[in-house]
Amino acid sequence: MALETGALLDGKYRILHEVGRGGMSIVYMAINEKANKTWAVKEVRKDGVLDFEAVRQGLIVETEMLKRLRHPNLPSIIDIIEDEDTLIIVMDYIEGVPLSKVLSEYGAQPQEYVIEWGKQLCDVLSYLHSQDPPIIYRDMKPSNVMLKPDGNLALIDFGTAREFKEKKIEDTTCLGTIGYAAPEQFGGMGQTDARTDIYCLGATLYHLVTGMNPGKPPYEMKPIRTVNPRLSSGLEKILLKCTQRDPEDRYQQCFDLRYALEHYEKIDDRYHKKQKGRLRLFVLALIASLGLLLAGIWMGQSSLKLAGDYYEQQLAEAERSTDYEKKLELYEQCIDIPDKGGKTDAYLGMIQLFKEGDARFTVGEASLLDRKIKEHSKELKKDPSAYSDLCFEVGKLYWYYYDYGSETGDNQIVRMKSAIDWFDDAARYAPEKTDKTTMATVYAAIGTFYRDIASKAIEGADKGLYKPFFEQVKQLLETVASNEHESEIVRLELLELSQSALQQYASRLYADGVSKDAMLQLCDLIDQISGGLVTTTQKTGEIKSGIRNRLEETRDAIQAVFVGEEGGD
Amino acid sequence: MDYIVSATTDIGNTKRTNQDSYHVRVYRSNAGKIVFSVLCDGMGGFDHGEIASAYVVRSFFNWADARLATVLASDNPDSLLRSDWSRLIDHCNEAIAQFAARGRLVMGTTLTAMLITPQRYTIVNVGDTRAYVIAEELRQLTYDQTVVAHEVRQGILTPEEAKRDPRRNVLLQCIGASEDVYPDFFFGGTRENVVYMMCTDGFRNELTEEELFTYLHPNQLVSQVVSAEQERALIATAKQRQERDNISVITIRTF
Repeated sequence: MALETGALLDGKYRILHEVGRGGMSIVYMAINEKANKTWAVKEVRKDGVLDFEAVRQGLIVETEMLKRLRHPNLPSIIDIIEDEDTLIIVMDYIEGVPLSKVLSEYGAQPQEYVIEWGKQLCDVLSYLHSQDPPIIYRDMKPSNVMLKPDGNLALIDFGTAREFKEKKIEDTTCLGTIGYAAPEQFGGMGQTDARTDIYCLGATLYHLVTGMNPGKPPYEMKPIRTVNPRLSSGLEKILLKCTQRDPEDRYQQCFDLRYALEHYEKIDDRYHKKQKGRLRLFVLALIASLGLLLAGIWMGQSSLKLAGDYYEQQLAEAERSTDYEKKLELYEQCIDIPDKGGKTDAYLGMIQLFKEGDARFTVGEASLLDRKIKEHSKELKKDPSAYSDLCFEVGKLYWYYYDYGSETGDNQIVRMKSAIDWFDDAARYAPEKTDKTTMATVYAAIGTFYRDIASKAIEGADKGLYKPFFEQVKQLLETVASNEHESEIVRLELLELSQSALQQYASRLYADGVSKDAMLQLCDLIDQISGGLVTTTQKTGEIKSGIRNRLEETRDAIQAVFVGEEGGD
Repeated sequence: MDYIVSATTDIGNTKRTNQDSYHVRVYRSNAGKIVFSVLCDGMGGFDHGEIASAYVVRSFFNWADARLATVLASDNPDSLLRSDWSRLIDHCNEAIAQFAARGRLVMGTTLTAMLITPQRYTIVNVGDTRAYVIAEELRQLTYDQTVVAHEVRQGILTPEEAKRDPRRNVLLQCIGASEDVYPDFFFGGTRENVVYMMCTDGFRNELTEEELFTYLHPNQLVSQVVSAEQERALIATAKQRQERDNISVITIRTF
């Protein structure tokens, strides 16, 4: 059966007209007259496919799974109809233009668009890779990506992508037909896997942002700034990493690539220079102060002053000082005094310093603190109780103040993820169980929940995770947020966290068996604590009013989940 | 200048069809004899590669019938050949792609075409069919448009690694299955008492450069009959060594 315009397919779909034609298939627009809905119908002719049997086998295995796939960036496959000559796939009709056409009409695309598109494509590839067994798309190229009128992308030509995939080595093939194939796609160099898609995605983004097709002369992907010096060096590094010949050298998961794309400015040279500049200042200050320190020791020798005294003296001076740089310098000196790296006072002073002022724990500060603790971890661990306390404080510093990624939006997940290990250590090294270690365990559990929930949800393995999470949030709210001596930032952060958890996961919490009353009680607690909280800065004031303004919304979100249930009673 | 021309093809050990196509013609002109030789290797992995290869060969000779005399009589034949052949290749690329799409097929072909006048030779090349000159040594006149040859030129692979690389049969482009085709052109002065040889990859895969040099040396190719014998002997050797592809070779000995 070959489809013709006007034909009625499967008694349901009226073929309207041809919309596209590939090497082995034709795509028609069709309408389901009863439902008055348009579909795309893709016809794969069996005699046009070299080894149709292999294709069919692959397709039969995948058919059921393909039908199950649901993702905003994928057309849904509705029906697969097979007869002797053809295989017909009925799927969503995607309106829009392929990115290949955007490229040929407008040339290179703005970097911001390309990064946004890259993130969306990472999402959809992640989704495919998370299937069991993982689905490797293998044919990422601009002509397979539709730009929809709403600005979002859809990955098309899906499901028959295997048409071209497995090549026999002996047969001559032509690059023009297979897009930007990764080296391993030609066979003989190991399996194709998620990293193959990462290569092709990198090549696609390269093409989009430079306007140069890597599948055409000079057949190479140069660093993008040699094509356009105004592009970001961060993006350049990302694309180079995606398109490494050896899959081991690429991003290993789409998640990693997505993360890099989100923070491409962070790996930008300019940013590094700025950071390095700051670090250089640190180092200069450090060297200068070491000079003083040596002089100090030298003179100290003459007065037989002990290092211990010196530590206390420097520490006291740091606490007295009001200048950030000076304080930091003194704390560092303290830590670096031989045999004093195991004392936690100077680290705690440093942590306090990082919290104060702008209430931002910057990336540079984080790297300094991490390095100092790592350098002296052996000495620090000799006093497990003090080390546990220190880890707890560092964990909180990350959790509430870490600045990484904040300019690109809310970096809550990053903050929590970075804190997990510290809270874990706080619990692990504590010689006995205390309120603090319980708290550390709760923080670590919440952080782990946020880190894993997205991937678990995609795998469908998230059920049962929400209830314990709810209990942990509640515990933090009842202890830490209710404590009037706790800093306002910490309390507000927790209130925000609880509120967004309720809004975001109300239906999941319900599915996990959390009662409406429990949720509403938590909401009331948020109401009560935030109402009584006095803020002292503009920033915290804004956070507070934000929380108060969303209270109704939060209650509505909870009510909405239970509406169906009550209606049934 | 005169020429001894011979061409031999063989379906090879494993293929069901011979997808190679070629044609060689000697023209007489006021300026002396001219050889026009076109060799195409239809894509082994694609359907009906012989349709694509035959189409390109035929198109080139149609062009020769219509344009060759004019082009050679012009002030700058090199540049006219370049523009004529580029246009012709674009036309072939589109025509084959359209034909293939109608039948829902994918087909493509390589191309090596060589025009030899008593003074100059001009070669156009797409893909991995090759032209050589054999005189004091064996020298390849064309660049392979393959992924591995490209990487050898970039210094990523050594020639030895390229021979074993799993991607060795991947062409950068071909006529009929590439969006755009970018042919390479090669020009030079025609020499006396040398052999110009053109072949498909099936001919050279299993043979060493020494064998090609020894069997196809100008001292060997003293007549059309001997040339054909030598070609057949080399093809037999390649088949014995389990070559899987179609095998084609053309020799043009000048004297």
